[in-house]
Amino acid sequence: MNQNGAGIRFEHVGVTYPNGYSGLRDVDLAIAPGEMVAVVGLSGAGKSTLVRTINGLVPITSGEITVGDVGLHGLHGARLRRLRSEVGMVFQSFNLAKRTTVLNNVLMGRLHGTSAWRTLLAAWRKDDIELAMRALERVEIVQKAYANASELSGGQQQRVAIARALAQRPKVILADEPTASLDPPTSHVVMRDLQRINAELGITVVVNLHFLDLARRYGQRLIGLRAGEIVYDGQGTDADESVFEAIYGRSLTAEDVLPSQPVELS
Amino acid sequence: MTAVTARPTGTGRPGATGPTASGAPQRPSKPLHLGTKVIWVVVTIVVVAAFWSIDISWDALLTLPQKLVHYLGLMFLPPAWSKLPDALGATMLSVAMAWFGTLLGIVISFPLSLLATRGLMPAVVRWPLRGVFAVLRAVPEVVIAVLMLSVTGLTAFTGALAIAIGSIGTLGKWGYESFESVDRGPIEAATAAGASRLQIMRWGVWTSAKPDVYAFWLYRFEISVRASAILGLIGAGGIGKMLVDNIQFRVWDVVGMLMIVVVVVTMIIDQLSGMVRHRIIEGRWELPVVTALRRRSAKRARSESVDLKITADD
Repeated sequence: MNQNGAGIRFEHVGVTYPNGYSGLRDVDLAIAPGEMVAVVGLSGAGKSTLVRTINGLVPITSGEITVGDVGLHGLHGARLRRLRSEVGMVFQSFNLAKRTTVLNNVLMGRLHGTSAWRTLLAAWRKDDIELAMRALERVEIVQKAYANASELSGGQQQRVAIARALAQRPKVILADEPTASLDPPTSHVVMRDLQRINAELGITVVVNLHFLDLARRYGQRLIGLRAGEIVYDGQGTDADESVFEAIYGRSLTAEDVLPSQPVELS
Repeated sequence: MTAVTARPTGTGRPGATGPTASGAPQRPSKPLHLGTKVIWVVVTIVVVAAFWSIDISWDALLTLPQKLVHYLGLMFLPPAWSKLPDALGATMLSVAMAWFGTLLGIVISFPLSLLATRGLMPAVVRWPLRGVFAVLRAVPEVVIAVLMLSVTGLTAFTGALAIAIGSIGTLGKWGYESFESVDRGPIEAATAAGASRLQIMRWGVWTSAKPDVYAFWLYRFEISVRASAILGLIGAGGIGKMLVDNIQFRVWDVVGMLMIVVVVVTMIIDQLSGMVRHRIIEGRWELPVVTALRRRSAKRARSESVDLKITADD
């Protein structure tokens, strides 16, 4: 399960929603292969839009995004699905199919390479099952493989979702506020999982975060968004008070940090 | 003069009230409620007309209780248990009719309900299908069977087909409604993983909708069992046919036995099917009647404990 990450390049990217709201404005950004980037900003600043343009869930209206060597503008059909299969995604609300097993959920990450009849009959290939099991082992939840997804706690569900993304053998993992539905200690566990995946597998990770301390702790690189534009791009450790003011339009308060110490993984 | 400031109401009030009326607010006039009065008149006319036209024989109404007791006696004192094997055979036919009809309805309605689902098909395909479902729901199975008699003849197969067509209406509607109401999360996740439309259907929609859809299928079978007894009345075979034949020849003790069989068999099937549905939705086995009794005894225990507390306070 060792693979290299892909680089992502934004060139003058703009996103205007059908209702006229503009999500991103002239964004230029280069993310190197294997980098871990944290995106912060207020709600509505365009964090979600930025992450969702990378796998085409939100279509861009101007400019160009290149993932690896594939351009996203105008990409559709089989070629778009192929790109998506190389980009794993982790969601705020986990997005698991609750009425089926954990293993089936992880195997959903293998759908792209699975034939129609295997899909319909749930006749997964042996290699795929092995891959899914190893992904579950990596996030330390393999003992729940045959449990129903609905029986799991929030943190466990998010780790299954990470395993699902891993089962895609992705070059990039996108995480859209992966800790927003979790309590502080669990948030750290999930962030540590993402960090480990980035470090050990070399997968490029782009993660949206609401809490600044999480972003600074886990993102090598911090990108601040405000009103659809990049207002900060640099090392997380270099971001000081003035940077936060630029991103949030006010100075840092206690509400912007997660009120807990990280817990050790057992 | 005060009369100038007062509003000309036309009631010609005595001048004595004039000076005080200018200070106090004017009394409201009694509301007319014309609409209500019209409705009352119309309802009354309709009721009277209805009594007139159905030609009530008041004598029969007076002797009704007495006759009822008489016939109940003929039917149930005692029922003709000797004909029970025949009745059970006929019941089997009715249940088979319901089972086959429902199964056929499921096979036909399942793809149709997919085609009627928003987000999968354009409105041009969806709305005509939904119209067909609505029409089929509006027509009772008996009417469908009567319409089909000329084609397939008066057989149990006709009954099964009528049930199948009738169940397409309900199953189709329940199907697309449950497909549309699934959680969007897994759909988004499957899309993001590069799944095709078919794969999204299978793993994003169907896994979530499956238990509900299975439960609907079973529930529809329960309805079909009742419908199949009624279809027998028009001659489509089964317990209903046996019932109507025996009523015609006034074999009341057999009729009594058949009524017991119909009620008992329908209730047993309802209970068993309800138990399986409970297992599908809630994940554990439970007989509906047991659940109801348990809930009832729990309520009684609660009210008794309250009573005890009150008496203890005394």
